Amino acid sequence: MGIQTSDKPLLERVKESEQDKFMQASVAKAQDAQHIKREDSRALLGNWEQWRELGEQIRQRALKYLPDYLEQFSDNVEKNGGDVFFAATEKDAVDYIEKIVKETGAKRIVKSKSMVTTEIDLDKRLLAMNKGLQLMETDLAEFILQEDDWDEPTHIVFPTLHKNRDQVREIFMKLGYEGDNDPMHLARFARKFLREYFLQADLGITGCNFAVADNGMINLVTNEGNADLTMAIPKTQIVVMGMERIVPTMNDAEILDNMLCRSAVGQKLTSYVTFEKGQVAGETDGPEHFHVVIVDNNRSRALGSEFQSILQCIRCGACMNVCPVYRHIGGHGYGSIYPGPLGAVLSPILGGYQAFQELPYASSLCGACTEVCPVKIPLHKLLIEHRRIITDQRHMQHGLNNLMMEAIGIGTGFPWLFRTAVRFGHLGLKPLASKGEVHAENFIKPEGSVKGGPGLVGGWADVRDLPLPPKNKDSFRQWFAKHKANQPQPGDQKANQ
Amino acid sequence: MTIYNREAFLDRLSERLGTPRHQMDKEPFIHRNQLPEETLADLSSDELLDLAKNTSEALHVTFQVTDQTGLPAILDEYLKRIGAGQLILPTEPDQVADYQLQDWIDTVAKERTVKYWDPKADRATNLATSQDSMVAIGFGDYLLAESGTITVPTTPGQGRAFNFLPTHYLSIVKRSHILPRSTQVTKIYDDKIKSGELVTSNINYISGPSNSGDIEMVLIVGVHGPLDMTYVVVNDR
Repeated sequence: MGIQTSDKPLLERVKESEQDKFMQASVAKAQDAQHIKREDSRALLGNWEQWRELGEQIRQRALKYLPDYLEQFSDNVEKNGGDVFFAATEKDAVDYIEKIVKETGAKRIVKSKSMVTTEIDLDKRLLAMNKGLQLMETDLAEFILQEDDWDEPTHIVFPTLHKNRDQVREIFMKLGYEGDNDPMHLARFARKFLREYFLQADLGITGCNFAVADNGMINLVTNEGNADLTMAIPKTQIVVMGMERIVPTMNDAEILDNMLCRSAVGQKLTSYVTFEKGQVAGETDGPEHFHVVIVDNNRSRALGSEFQSILQCIRCGACMNVCPVYRHIGGHGYGSIYPGPLGAVLSPILGGYQAFQELPYASSLCGACTEVCPVKIPLHKLLIEHRRIITDQRHMQHGLNNLMMEAIGIGTGFPWLFRTAVRFGHLGLKPLASKGEVHAENFIKPEGSVKGGPGLVGGWADVRDLPLPPKNKDSFRQWFAKHKANQPQPGDQKANQ
Repeated sequence: MTIYNREAFLDRLSERLGTPRHQMDKEPFIHRNQLPEETLADLSSDELLDLAKNTSEALHVTFQVTDQTGLPAILDEYLKRIGAGQLILPTEPDQVADYQLQDWIDTVAKERTVKYWDPKADRATNLATSQDSMVAIGFGDYLLAESGTITVPTTPGQGRAFNFLPTHYLSIVKRSHILPRSTQVTKIYDDKIKSGELVTSNINYISGPSNSGDIEMVLIVGVHGPLDMTYVVVNDR
């Protein structure tokens, strides 16, 4: 899949998303439910703003000394008996993982949920390179997506928000399920199906919520237990982590775990929080061979730039849970595996402006994302920064919109031109106006609203009311001029009476 | 044990950051507040127990408190509730002695199959034994009051899969090992790992049974891990 999930233009994706009423209702329900759970859990903890400051400090510290912490972490993984591979690109990462798969002779791979492995398109690349290899996503949501012909995730925490229980049932029926659409029965079927797979797995691939620099352990935060089985049963484990996942100590990881769980799902801690490394002497399960793949894949573009703070992200998804645009268009509308405000900032950095130049505009700039972020990433300011670069530095706004903006620039730069435009606004836009019947909605603008239109006008009028300007004779300026002319002036006889 | 491509990779990051490498130690890292340590730190032993109970029960955990002498009866009642099926126990003789459970184990073994996570057995054997077990009774290291969490470091006698493959799970933990939050227990483990007192590849913080909301956000309790959890807190002072 890779980071880009669609090459359709943003507006086309938005229109497709608008058709999916179940998805829209599910996203709204999830946002509302998570709002209550998240805010309750934060209130119960108390002093949330001070916790945010601490979380921000830990993440900023890790980024400030990123090379040093990665060096310390890799030294400790090696000391613990593991291998570490630094992958500058997604190809480097996939090639190394494929090499390990071949060397170990692995035939059955189990995976736990990992955004970075989706980002580097690991599953499909491994399966394409190795005929006869079996690979299974074991997180319930990722399993559903895989069995639905690798459908796109719609949320980084709730990947199957867009699917209803009947769709899941249909997917499972292809695997032999014969029951009803009760989520409990569906989950029990997945448990049994995947348990048999787990017990024969010879290689496990996991992500990493945080990597602990000063002891070389990785930290995973999950609810289902599949990640722990992935780390327990196979003889070989490959951990794939974005290079910014590093934290200085176990206690720093634990602090962020507390903030992550509350921000993502409103839990104090998820069912399973695990610190692990390769097997030590005397133990009989856990990985005998332990590999960590540390992935850059263009993250370093943000380092030292105005976008460095996006690497503070702990992938809680809270920003998308409060975003009004995400609520409207869902995850698929973004065309990136990283949706919502996080994705609108991160995707252009990882995937480039050419592919994602529209995403920074998929925001109302209301700032709710910035306020909810547990590690204080100024998300809406980063979106504005992207827009500034796209328009001022890269001059990527082309076509009619660009011409219109230039025309507006000229028109507002000369008073006589502006007055002329105001004078003829009613006449010019009238062909686009829909008068309709007078009712509450158009009571105060009985001339109707502009519907459709070229470029910026159409984009605005599609989603917001654009009242038809009044006729020139009824304009405020005309009214004011007449009103003023009828007012008594100082020195008039009437005024002195 | 090899590190690949490190120097060029880190040099590039250093260049992007605009600062040379190996500067970290010049600026000690001090947290700007002590909230993780201070939160709930003033609770009494009784308050910690109450909080642990309330939090655990909110996570669908069956929570019981007993004196040492009442432990066998509670375990009997638990197994009766679970029904027939193989029981797996850890090979932790010190803990068995500490909780005075050997007589109870001998009695139970006459009524149902009792197996152990065996440090001398191989991976496949221990995994198969765990998978075939209807129920596991293990020893929790600490209980965290705030989050209803038991902590379990992996040992040769109580492996990782012991905590995940059996269908039902009961954890016995000492009342004196109830801590306010994950901060305290993480510091204990960090110190013990660094001093060499604790040698383990894995530490589980387990808060109730496995769960998922992946299908229409409906909470499903019991997904890949145990379907249910029971904590038994034993008064030890």
